[in-house]
Parts: sequence; C-alpha cells; structure tokens
Amino acid sequence: MSLWIKENCVSFFQLFCIKVIKTGRVPQHIAFIMDGNRRYAKKNSVDKSTGHHKGFDKLSETLKWCLDLGIPEVTVYAFSIENFKRSKEEVDALMELAREKFQNLLDEIDQIDEWGVRVHVAGRLSLLPEHLRSLVSKVMLATKDNNRLCLNIAYAYTGRDEISRAASRIIDGVKENKISPENIDEELISQSLDLGEPELLVRTSGEVRLSDFMLWQISNTVLYFTDVLWPEFTIWNLLAAIIHFQRNAPPIKAEDTNETAHEKKEFLKYLEQRRAQELTKYIS
Amino acid sequence: MLSRLLRQFLFALLHLILNFIVGAQNVYCRYWLKKHSLQDYEVTKTDLKLIVKHIPKLSKQPKHLVVLSDSDYHSIDDLARMVIWSLVAGIPFLSFYDVSGQLSYQEEKLFNAVEKNKKGVPGCIKWSKKPDLNGYTNGIPAHKIVVNIFSCQNGRSTITQCIKEMCEEKIPYNRKSDQITAQEFDDVISAVYPSIPDPDLALFSGPVCCTHGLLPWQIRLTEFISLSVDYNLSVESFVGAMYKYSKCDQRFGT
Repeated sequence: MSLWIKENCVSFFQLFCIKVIKTGRVPQHIAFIMDGNRRYAKKNSVDKSTGHHKGFDKLSETLKWCLDLGIPEVTVYAFSIENFKRSKEEVDALMELAREKFQNLLDEIDQIDEWGVRVHVAGRLSLLPEHLRSLVSKVMLATKDNNRLCLNIAYAYTGRDEISRAASRIIDGVKENKISPENIDEELISQSLDLGEPELLVRTSGEVRLSDFMLWQISNTVLYFTDVLWPEFTIWNLLAAIIHFQRNAPPIKAEDTNETAHEKKEFLKYLEQRRAQELTKYIS
Repeated sequence: MLSRLLRQFLFALLHLILNFIVGAQNVYCRYWLKKHSLQDYEVTKTDLKLIVKHIPKLSKQPKHLVVLSDSDYHSIDDLARMVIWSLVAGIPFLSFYDVSGQLSYQEEKLFNAVEKNKKGVPGCIKWSKKPDLNGYTNGIPAHKIVVNIFSCQNGRSTITQCIKEMCEEKIPYNRKSDQITAQEFDDVISAVYPSIPDPDLALFSGPVCCTHGLLPWQIRLTEFISLSVDYNLSVESFVGAMYKYSKCDQRFGT
C-alpha cells in the first residue's frame, strides 16, 4: 500500500460529497499550514515525534482527497527555517522522519508515477543535512515529469528567505547579462520564486497568522483559518474550506494577453536549468 | 447523466441554503446592532468608556495595528472613529491599508474628520505625511499615535524596486554567501520603509480574509482577525477583536 497517497480512506458517501462539491469551482492550487502536531501529542499524552508521524499520515490522506477533488497543485508547510531553533532532539527526529518518508517515496516510485505525483521541495536546501539534501534532490528529479498532482513541500523554508533567494538569482542574472534591469517586474519575481500563487490557504489549529509562509504569493488568496488540529483534520474540514472558497473566491484573473518579453522567458528557462544542475550536484 | 444532474442540483441546493442562512444571520445582526447602539457618526462618550473599561484588562496589545479599509464599505467617519478608538486604547501605530485604492486621495478628508472627532479626547495624533500640528495636553501624559496609509504600491512594487536598484548597484547590500539571506535583504527593505514596527494585528471586515497585497515583507507574524462579517465597524467589534488578539500567544514557525 502506498504511504504517500493513502488509498481506501474515502467512503462511498464521502466520495459522493466530493463529487457534488466538484461540480463547482475548485481551487487550482491549495496550500496548507499543517499546524497542531505538537499540541495533538500533548493532548493525547504521546511524544512529539508520534504527533509528527500522525501529521504525516494526515498529509497522505489529504493528498488522496485533493486527487479525488481534482486539485492539481498542493503546497504544504512542513518545516520552517525557524524550526531549526527547536530542541536538537526534536529537530533530529523531524529530519529522520523526512529521510524515512522520502526514502519510502523512492521505494514506491512506480506507484507515485502511476498517481502522476510530482514532488517539489522548496526551501534553502543548503541548510539540510547532506544525506537528506541528496535524497530530496533524487526525489525531485525522479518525479519531475509527472503532471497530475504537483506536491510542493516547503522544507527549511520561510517566505522571506524565498524572496531573498529569488533576489540573489535575479541579481546574478543581471551580472551575467541574462536579464536587463528594465525587465525586472513583479511577474518576473513571482516566477523566480520556488512556489506559485495558491487560491486557497488553510491553516489549522486556530492560529491566525502566516508564520512566514508564502508571503509574496498570498496577495489574492482566500485565507481560511480553522481550529482543528492537523492530525484531526477530516475530509469535512477540507470540504468546508472549499465551500468557503466557492462562496468568496475572487473572480478568475483573465490570462495576461501581453506576450512575455523574450528575454524574460529565456531567463526563466535558464533559472530552471540552473536549478536542475544544482540538484544533480547535490546527488553526487 | 442523471447522476450528474443530481449532483448539480445538490450543489446548487447546498449553496442556496448557505446563502439563506448567511443572509438571515446578517439581517439579524444588523437589526440587533441597530437596537442596541445608535448609528452615530461621531465618537460618543459611551464608546470611549467601553474602551477605557476593557482595554486595560488585556494581557497584550498590538504595537502596530493595520485596518484593511475598503471605500466601498467604509466611510471616512468610520475610519476617523477607528483612529480615536486606537488612540484611547493606547496603540502607538495605526495604519490603514487602502484595498480599493481610494483612500490615498482622501487623506485630507480623513484628517479633518479625525480632528472633528478628537474634540476633548486627550492624546496626540501624528500623521506620518504631515508636520506635527495637533497639540499636547497641558503636561498630562497622554497617548500618542502615528497614523499611516499604505496601498498596494507599498507592497510588491516596493520590493521589486529594491531588487532592481540592487541589480543596478544603486543601493548597497551585504552578501556573504552565494544566496542572500533574509536578514541581509531585510536590511535593504527596512531602509526603504518608514521606521515603524511590523504590524502585529490586521483587522479585516467582510466574509473573507485576504491580504489584498498588504505589505508582504512585513506581515509574516501579523495576526488576521475579523471585525465583522458585514463590514460594519462598531466599537463593540473593535474591543472584541482586541480581546481575541490578547489571547493568542505569538510563536515562530509552524
């Protein structure tokens, strides 16, 4: 059985409800701040790492729901750069959890390909321990051609850091004459970032802030805060968030008819190549 | 085919029922509010009493409050009252975020409305774009509030401009490693914005929470709290939001 996408977690009735909701507009990109694993652990008097494991199980269920709903892109906030400041024990446990799960993913790569899941890890990868960095690079390269569901995992990530890294790339681009300063605009910056703009952002466990997640991208996003702890998140919570989105979503932006400048396109292609090269370097 | 029709029917029915419930709720709220507080366009003594009574009880208060204001729903008087309430509550920085792009042109009007409302209220209001005008209160230690208006021009555009100027080497920056760190970039950004703390609290009204492009760099720890679902800005909802805020503990990360 697949660990990353949990099968058999949707009853007949739930599937029917999913199909009803699906008749309306469904967000094309949904982001989750999976908060509440530690509080869940405390509440149920288990240790923190059990809480984090439960959190991961919930993620695999959520991915199945998103696949059934036909949502093509899901972004989750798994580990913030600020989280490195937690106790060594907890950070080590989280790194071990990630290593185990990414290893599982590589082991079951055939199934992942069958589901068509593309995994993208966004963040300052240079902060990760070497073995984990090479593992996530492998995962990204192995799944890069899948296109049914794009799963972005924000790991060693903060929104500010993402903007800073994009700025570094653009500054380098100017130095190397790949792009001229006149062509730098909001659109170019948006596309130089690791993550795209979500239409709906869900944060669990009752906190009502972004905690440095996707700061640039959420300008027009519907933000949905719910009190439920992440390990206790159910399909009904997800459907409620989507109904809220359907009631309040801003109208779909008309596609920009302006042709993107040739230089910009070339620059973005160049960035893509550079990223792929970096990943290959991390593997070896 | 039949099952598709059934699904579409149920979908429409679901949203119809929700619309009905929300509509009924709104009517009830409005009726209830009308009955309990007279719709005044000026700050009343009862308003101030309510704030003075409740605010000192709170365990924490925002240093920098942002109010998302939309001219389609909020009048200048609504916003002026918000300034006075915040002044009385002792909030040092208040900013309006101009969602609809109208407020920036009406700063003068807002200024006058605030002056009209301020009569007899101790404290000093500083407009960041104006020289100090309004006075001090005979040596009594009074609250001071700094008022700013931001719009989408101060968000992504400003960051874009910063990056452009960094490329053209017009502004100096540090870069110790291959990739600029958030701290290094923050040094550049803070030089561009007025030196005020990052917002701790953003109040929105209406049914949906959306930043509309509010200061992307500065809102990483800002809490978003709803004032009302029907865009009504009442003193009760202001005090209620302050209560909600004081119960949250601020943590970094997820």
